[in-house]
Amino acid sequence: MTIVKLDLDTFPKLLMHHAEERGDRPAIREKSRGIWRTVTWRELAEEASALAAAVSARGLQRGAHVALLGDNRPRLYAAMCAAHMLGAVAVPLYQDSAVDEIASSIASAKVTHVFAENQEQVDKLLEILPRCPTVQCIVYDKDRGMRHYTQRELVSYDSLLQQGRQLAVEKHDFLRAQAARCSGGDSALLFFTSGATGPAKGVVLTHAALIDRARVAASLGQLKDTDVAMAYLPPGWIGQILFGYVQPMVVGYCICCPESSDTMLADMREMGPTYFLATPRVLETLAKQVSLRMEEAGGFNQRLYRSCMAVGRRVAARTLAGERLSIGDRLASMASDLLIRGPLRDVLGMSRVRVAYTAGDAVDPDLLMFFRALGINLKQLYGSTETGFFVALQRDGAIRPDTVGLPVDGVELKMTPQREVLVRSPGLFREYHGDAARTAEAMNADGWFHTGDAGELGPDGQLRIVDRMADVGALKDGTPFAPRLLESKLKFVPYIREAVAFGDGRDMVCALIDIEMAATSRWADRQNISYTGHADLASRDEVYALIADCIAAMNAQLASDPALASSQIQRFLILDKELSADDGVLTRTGKLRRDVIAARYRASVDAMYDGRTEVRVEPGSGEQAADAKIRDAKVVTSAHTRRAA
Amino acid sequence: MTISVQSSILQSAQRAFPFGPPILELSSISLRFGGVHALTNISFDVLEHEIRAIIGPNGAGKSSMLNVINGIYAPQEGSITFRGERLSEMKPTHAASLGIARTFQNIALFRGMSVLDNIMAGRKLHMHASFLEVALQLPRARREETENRAAVEEIIEFLEIEHIRKTPVARLPYGLQKRVELGRALAAEPTILLLDEPMAGMNIEEKQDMCRFILDVNDHYGTTIVLIEHDMGVVMDISDRVVVLDYGKKIGDGTPDEVRSDQNVIDAYLGVPH
Amino acid sequence: MPDFWFFLEVLVGGLLSGTMYALVALGFVLIYKASSVFNFAQGAMVFFAVLSFVGFMELGLPFWAALPVTVGLMILVGMGTERFVLRPLVNQSEDTLLMATIGLAFVIEGVAQLAWGVDVRRLDLGIRDEPINWVMDKTGMLVSQLDVTAALVAGIMVAALALLFSHTKVGRGLRAVADDHAAALSIGIPLKHIWMLVWATAGVVALVAGMLWGARSGVQFALVWVALKALPVLIIGGFTSVPGVILAGLIVGAIEKIGEVFIGPYVGGGIEGWSPYMLAVLFLLIRPEGLFGEKIIRRV
Repeated sequence: MTIVKLDLDTFPKLLMHHAEERGDRPAIREKSRGIWRTVTWRELAEEASALAAAVSARGLQRGAHVALLGDNRPRLYAAMCAAHMLGAVAVPLYQDSAVDEIASSIASAKVTHVFAENQEQVDKLLEILPRCPTVQCIVYDKDRGMRHYTQRELVSYDSLLQQGRQLAVEKHDFLRAQAARCSGGDSALLFFTSGATGPAKGVVLTHAALIDRARVAASLGQLKDTDVAMAYLPPGWIGQILFGYVQPMVVGYCICCPESSDTMLADMREMGPTYFLATPRVLETLAKQVSLRMEEAGGFNQRLYRSCMAVGRRVAARTLAGERLSIGDRLASMASDLLIRGPLRDVLGMSRVRVAYTAGDAVDPDLLMFFRALGINLKQLYGSTETGFFVALQRDGAIRPDTVGLPVDGVELKMTPQREVLVRSPGLFREYHGDAARTAEAMNADGWFHTGDAGELGPDGQLRIVDRMADVGALKDGTPFAPRLLESKLKFVPYIREAVAFGDGRDMVCALIDIEMAATSRWADRQNISYTGHADLASRDEVYALIADCIAAMNAQLASDPALASSQIQRFLILDKELSADDGVLTRTGKLRRDVIAARYRASVDAMYDGRTEVRVEPGSGEQAADAKIRDAKVVTSAHTRRAA
Repeated sequence: MTISVQSSILQSAQRAFPFGPPILELSSISLRFGGVHALTNISFDVLEHEIRAIIGPNGAGKSSMLNVINGIYAPQEGSITFRGERLSEMKPTHAASLGIARTFQNIALFRGMSVLDNIMAGRKLHMHASFLEVALQLPRARREETENRAAVEEIIEFLEIEHIRKTPVARLPYGLQKRVELGRALAAEPTILLLDEPMAGMNIEEKQDMCRFILDVNDHYGTTIVLIEHDMGVVMDISDRVVVLDYGKKIGDGTPDEVRSDQNVIDAYLGVPH
Repeated sequence: MPDFWFFLEVLVGGLLSGTMYALVALGFVLIYKASSVFNFAQGAMVFFAVLSFVGFMELGLPFWAALPVTVGLMILVGMGTERFVLRPLVNQSEDTLLMATIGLAFVIEGVAQLAWGVDVRRLDLGIRDEPINWVMDKTGMLVSQLDVTAALVAGIMVAALALLFSHTKVGRGLRAVADDHAAALSIGIPLKHIWMLVWATAGVVALVAGMLWGARSGVQFALVWVALKALPVLIIGGFTSVPGVILAGLIVGAIEKIGEVFIGPYVGGGIEGWSPYMLAVLFLLIRPEGLFGEKIIRRV
């Protein structure tokens, strides 16, 4: 394992260290125009220095904020390095953010310099320029379509780099001094968490906090500089930056940027990453793709797949339970690996994955087990932007699928009487940018951070997260109700993309269902159901019947657990269009914004509880009003279940 | 559909490639099939770097006009002048070597080949290495292969079709096939690009994409574009000048605004009897 | 002789004659790829080519001179076909082209007999249709020298053509022309040159096939029907695939001989004549595109 010396406490120092230690090893690979191109650590350091020289000549000050707006590209990371070299704070934003979101982020962080990937991003920035007077300079990478732009704030990355290469020589000492002035306690990154409730908060993290967390993660994952990770998640999310910037800086491993999101799977197969981070959403999509393709294969292939996966599940479950495998199991496991599981891992580009984490949201145990059954060492990771991402994670040999594992080194956990999880760790954030009041509210004087998550700490030290504090409620009869659990179970169904469960203060549980269009439309094709579009398909009785069956199956599962039996979903409504972050009902990371959803779909929800079978849906702008159906789902009556009237 | 572009000839000064002299002049072209007059005495010119549209109702002779420019049909009368060189008729291979590339209304792709191979085929005129050089992998052949591949990859990136690079075209949806066909025409690095109903049969999103690509091609490479459409709306948004044909005759010629307010054109589209 | 060696002998004999089928079928594939038409005149070209070759030799030309002269003649025939048959029919339907090749077949047959007469001739290539001695000594198998030579020549032809079509400008052009005429024209592929070249090549292939068949069974009008032998090979191998027809030729040759020797006695013999067609029918039922043919994808 290659964890570098501890006196390297900032990113510029780490970068220089790698440029000397492993200058010719790859730092970033990028597939561009059909070929993988490599940036070595030396080249990255050299490019970052040149950029830093040029940007500093354009007025970037220590402690100023540099926004990064684009997809994962070597140049985005080089720009981040350059900002850190000059002691500035990097502010990565979600590249698909709408104009207003970007405007409020840039204004609140008082960003002076922006790095933008292409014309699309530049257009957004130019539109908000009048609202953001602090912005002095916009650097754009791709020059396509940029010929007509004459704004004085604009400068192309290429020309900046060229100027910088000349300047870097004469400014060599200046740059060295700047890098040396930087210390671990300085702010390094500012993330905007598009919180599930309320406006976005700017979370400030220091070099030291991030590097500390990455060191802990590196030693847990036994990372080496030969490891490879894909850089494919939005850079605005702390998870991507930790796996694509902070950890590579600490360990010296290489990241690979796919050509585009459409080619991600193919590119991943080519590079064969060994270290992998995915959100539950990504995993759901992959799992759905696999099971759909297998369902369509039919006949022998399908039976083979099912039996091989059954073997995989059994073996994975036994291994997790710490049982010894019989010789028969071992043989069956080997055979199924050869026939199906191995080839499937290869299709998913995961045949070389050594350690895979899922983080960012609740993950359904079934989903986790699906990947473990495939033979992929997928583990849950718990943490948030404020806690430096690495708080708890599942450990090899002690994985319990319903928990998020044990706290990692340096983390102290404490529960409030209301079961809220409190965290104290060297990886905690410094502050909410420019908002001392909210910082004080979230972090008490002793340094304990209120996560806002409800959880339990088991006697074996394993942390179980129940739901967001704000979302945990109780049914009218007093039984506790946590919607996230139900929703993540529903989302594992191939035909369901999103689900929103209601039940707090009510006498029964109802749900809004958002169908997965790709899978459902293929199902409809097979059933010879013709339809005109999403809304039409979503309103079909056949589709309602399909979803009702899926919910009934989940209800049966819930009925066997006394604590959950009364959380069975009794009625549901299928939404006529996708829940989308662009409409504000999801965060950019794909989490539900319950308050917005509750307000927007108030009529539908009320109708479900009023026992109606149809509701007139309020039209959005420019859309026609439509009637949505409401149907009952089959509920399993057991000793614990009280039928709603 | 709203597509914001500078569509007036007056704004040509702001363009990346300002209009040059006429690159293509057609004078008094008449084309007959047996006794049928497909085109009668048609003259117009195309300026370098402009987007020139030929519009007209179905059966107006638009495709015939394109086929004359491209050399598939030989007109009985009239002449074509390309960069000052006067010809009584064009031949398809000659047109290709002059840098005239085209797409077809009914998509003419090499259906058995992948997207990459299709666009690579468009580089045909940029391949010079002989059979032996290729077979023995001599330096020139290798260099040429690399250069051509790089050029093709640039087009693939330009048209945002990286994800289907290796897919056989027959498996692609219609809109993407159209885009691949555009890619193949671009691979020839044409001076004039002829587009035969590039937006036919597309939904509104595909049309918007196609408009954006056409404008980008013109803006980025400076390619002169001659396009045919029967849907007036789209064309008016993206063209610099428009020729209107009806029953094989030219009934209007000018900027979109001029053409739109021309009484003959309005009559032709509203179906006033002749 | 043990049964095993006998089986092997039959198999080898079958495979060797299979290469000849493949060679004839190859002529069809070339033209099918370039013009999407089943060339009915291929058999006539085989006949015409070898008859001309024998004719030149009868006129007193030595072997080494008669060969290039005939090759030249076949190239002329290819160019003539392009100029007088295909060019006037550009953009016509495939059915029209098919009818044109039937007409072409009659013309070529007529010209051949007009020029060289209708007698059956012997063609001596200096290789005798006799078993190779050392193989017989070693294993007891009877393997004909002529068959082996024919297989070698066919193999070399096939390799050369495969190289030509996979690695050259002409090959790429050919594939493009086969796929879509209009598109090929628009990117500047000279359709006429490609057609000319392909028909000339098909003519040369016909000459080689005719020489090999003629050396064995005499140069006579019946060579026209060699084309019929090629039909099952084409169906099994796929009309557009060079490797497909090679493999199919071998399969047909082997099935024919093995069927005749081992199954024939039980059904009263005569299997050789129809067993390849049976196989072809089977293929039409389960894999209509042939072994390596391009799957025809139709959008509904």
